[in-house]
Amino acid sequence: MNILIKKAKIFQNGNKHHLRTRDIHIKNGRVLKISASIKDDSAKEITSENLCISAGWLDMRANFREPGHEYKEGLANGLKTAAKGGFTGVVSMPTTHPVVDNNTAVQFLKNNSATTVTEIFPAGSISQGLKGKQLSEFYDMMQSGAVAFTEDTALLNNTNLLSKALEYSKTIGALVYSFPYDPNLISDGQMHEGKTSTLLGMKGIPNVSEEIQLSRDIQLLKHFGGKLHVVAISTENSVNMLRTAKKEGLAITSSIHAHQLSFTDEAVSNFDSRFKVLPPFRSEADRKALIKGLKDGTIDAICSGHEPEDVEEKKREFTLAAFGISSLETAFSAANSELGQNYPLEDLVDKFTTAPRDILSIPIPQFEEGKVANFTLFDPTKKWTFNREEMLSKSKNTPYNNSKFTGKIIGVINRGKSSIDN
Amino acid sequence: MNNSLSVRHLLGIKQLTPEDIQLIFHHAEKFKKVINQPIKKVPSLRDITIANLFFENSTRTKLSFELAEKRLSADIVNFSSSGSSVKKGETLIDTVNNILSMKIDMVVMRHSSPGAPHFLKENTNTVIVNAGDGTHEHPTQGLLDSFSIREKIGDLKGKKVAIVGDIKHSRVALSNIFCLQKQGAEVMVCGPATLIPRNIKELGVQVEYDLVKAVEWADAVNMLRIQIERQASSDKEVPNFPSLREYSNLYQLNNEVLIKAKNNPLILHPGPINRGVEITTELADGEQSLVLQQVENGVAIRMAVIYLLASHIKR
Repeated sequence: MNILIKKAKIFQNGNKHHLRTRDIHIKNGRVLKISASIKDDSAKEITSENLCISAGWLDMRANFREPGHEYKEGLANGLKTAAKGGFTGVVSMPTTHPVVDNNTAVQFLKNNSATTVTEIFPAGSISQGLKGKQLSEFYDMMQSGAVAFTEDTALLNNTNLLSKALEYSKTIGALVYSFPYDPNLISDGQMHEGKTSTLLGMKGIPNVSEEIQLSRDIQLLKHFGGKLHVVAISTENSVNMLRTAKKEGLAITSSIHAHQLSFTDEAVSNFDSRFKVLPPFRSEADRKALIKGLKDGTIDAICSGHEPEDVEEKKREFTLAAFGISSLETAFSAANSELGQNYPLEDLVDKFTTAPRDILSIPIPQFEEGKVANFTLFDPTKKWTFNREEMLSKSKNTPYNNSKFTGKIIGVINRGKSSIDN
Repeated sequence: MNNSLSVRHLLGIKQLTPEDIQLIFHHAEKFKKVINQPIKKVPSLRDITIANLFFENSTRTKLSFELAEKRLSADIVNFSSSGSSVKKGETLIDTVNNILSMKIDMVVMRHSSPGAPHFLKENTNTVIVNAGDGTHEHPTQGLLDSFSIREKIGDLKGKKVAIVGDIKHSRVALSNIFCLQKQGAEVMVCGPATLIPRNIKELGVQVEYDLVKAVEWADAVNMLRIQIERQASSDKEVPNFPSLREYSNLYQLNNEVLIKAKNNPLILHPGPINRGVEITTELADGEQSLVLQQVENGVAIRMAVIYLLASHIKR
């Protein structure tokens, strides 16, 4: 590997090259030189208009459905898709078949992705088999590379389990994730509870179903300690609660799905199951509150929430269709297009790279000569039209077909490989 | 008056214009005369084949559609399955396309999933009549209810209609709300709070928990069937009211309520009636009851809808 990146604006707060346009020479997976102008005829040159570069991005929540439902995505294809979306690292959810609840399962994921450009950082389940009865072996899984523990959409519905998980996690410095919603309030809910759900005669998922769980999580964290990351926040009240919890100094962080910024519940008006997601697309007030939460730092990170589903699960009657969208390839473009010019690009990049790495205690790759090259290249101004036929993901369940985006990923470099020539 | 509908399908009342509704009523009046003649048939749809696909149980609506189709001389085929083919793995699109490949011109469908006819419209190439989609709409019921009130008291503009009972799980309620509002009527819904969608006021309807007040206010009351089987969708869910007994104590329409309300509005019920639960037999069969007219008008309305939609079919 011998790559020369020409005229790229570097994003790395605290680095002497921050916001400067530089040539970067990368050889054999390491940064050879960073300077205003480098010449090397033997190197493969990468040039692009408005080229920007930052430390490799990390997706805090995605699903590859392997083991179990490889036909929906699979590890190899999923990691390639992640690279196309600008991610050099992905935290995979443990809700596979079988569940990632032991060291061997973590090793399976690590070993089967040892040579991919994008690295997998498995999250293990909090309870064995996601059954909510007994804690999984956190420490053992961490030895093989598990970075967090979550029941994800299988739900942390047992306060005793979460309290034990938080308390136990202190022993070994583990991070616990929570995907907050109360299944008793959702029961059969299909979309955001509001005027649109009333017009469609559809059972709603009220905001309170998320908020009651979040408020419970915060109280447990306050009492039992530990570190909690709340994924997939969607309501205004949730943002407010998190803001207060952070002010009180709790070890709590949060992230949202990028697509939550693009749509409101009105998108569902035509019973189009491509817009069926969990948490559901909510009101405009909620959407605006998420943007505000991103701005003031209440929301730390933006993740893809990638849920690949095949056409049989998705293209059917709304109430029978699966939740979720295939979103690795649209996360950045969707967020960048929606947040637009009024949002500082530096901050947006931070939500994809440094914030997730800090939360997960994964080192931040540095723009320094001699260091490992783990970078994401992107053009924040490029205008383009997204076409589902060009998706790399095996599952093309996307609401963004023909959407006009601003900002596009050029590629990633990691582990001595680059996604750009592929 | 226009002589064709603004829509190619009857997915719901929501998609209809007020003119569409008047056009359907206009034709329903004509067809009502036809079905009261000694020869109750017209040859209008001799060359049309209609499939009645009922993915959810129905007796009355299915019978009414079948009669309407036969009175128009259409050929018909029937398919009934209570969700079982879906469970067996055949998709809705497959089922319908299989039937359509036998050269069917129009599909009348009942399905338990809200929006199923909209989904079908996007994925097949046929004319669709929604005969009830889950808790969303039941457009021909909405039309026939308005038609029946209108026969008694004329134009619905400014008239007051109360819908009583399980609003939350009722496709009849939503279609009635849309249909009545498009004719300029005022709508109130009445029932226990657990059976009224939280955001219903945003649709411009009034909410009243007291049946006496609703009856006092209304020119017509539409008493919905209380569907005990829909009260809890899973073990996790607590039923929406304590018992039928308590429901009747609060929301049964009976003489006592009429006396307290000092009003004697028209009474509608989409059937089948739980006699002695939401309404007493005395009132269900009484002078103000439109129940049997509703059934008769149902056939006329469905004839009008099918006739008007068939005019879009290339022949």
